[in-house]
Amino acid sequence: MIALYVCAAIAVYAALRVIAERNTMRKLPFVNVISFAVTAIIALLLPHPITIIAAAAYFVGSTLESNAIASTWAGGIKKP
Amino acid sequence: MNDIVMAASVILILVGMTAAIFNRDPFDKLISLSVLIAGVFPFIIDRGFLDIAIATALIAPLSTIFTLMVCRRVQE
Repeated sequence: MIALYVCAAIAVYAALRVIAERNTMRKLPFVNVISFAVTAIIALLLPHPITIIAAAAYFVGSTLESNAIASTWAGGIKKP
Repeated sequence: MNDIVMAASVILILVGMTAAIFNRDPFDKLISLSVLIAGVFPFIIDRGFLDIAIATALIAPLSTIFTLMVCRRVQE
């Protein structure tokens, strides 16, 4: 039960850092931290065998999302 | 669900909503929407709708990627 509280505290702290940060590039690591913390909350919240599949699906989806935002913001391949 | 975890999820949803309203940059708005979706997930899991959670976790990044294509085209 302590682990759940620690994960919730990490998620709230990372969300506050996301809105406090001005640079867009510095926001993206904290979005990743939120996704890790919410994955841990999902895995710890409900004792059921399919919960780990839901946690893995959320982890894959949110990592894909933040990496897509980061690569689009960075500009991709520059054409000569 | 515990009250502390529920309060943390509500804080995530409210922070994401407020930042999505008041940000001007479209990338900042997308990051705020990502925070909001992260706050919604523990409520779906807590009721036991695991299949809906799996489907939402795989569909939500697709909508973000389609919106990113629009953002990229507008900036050019």
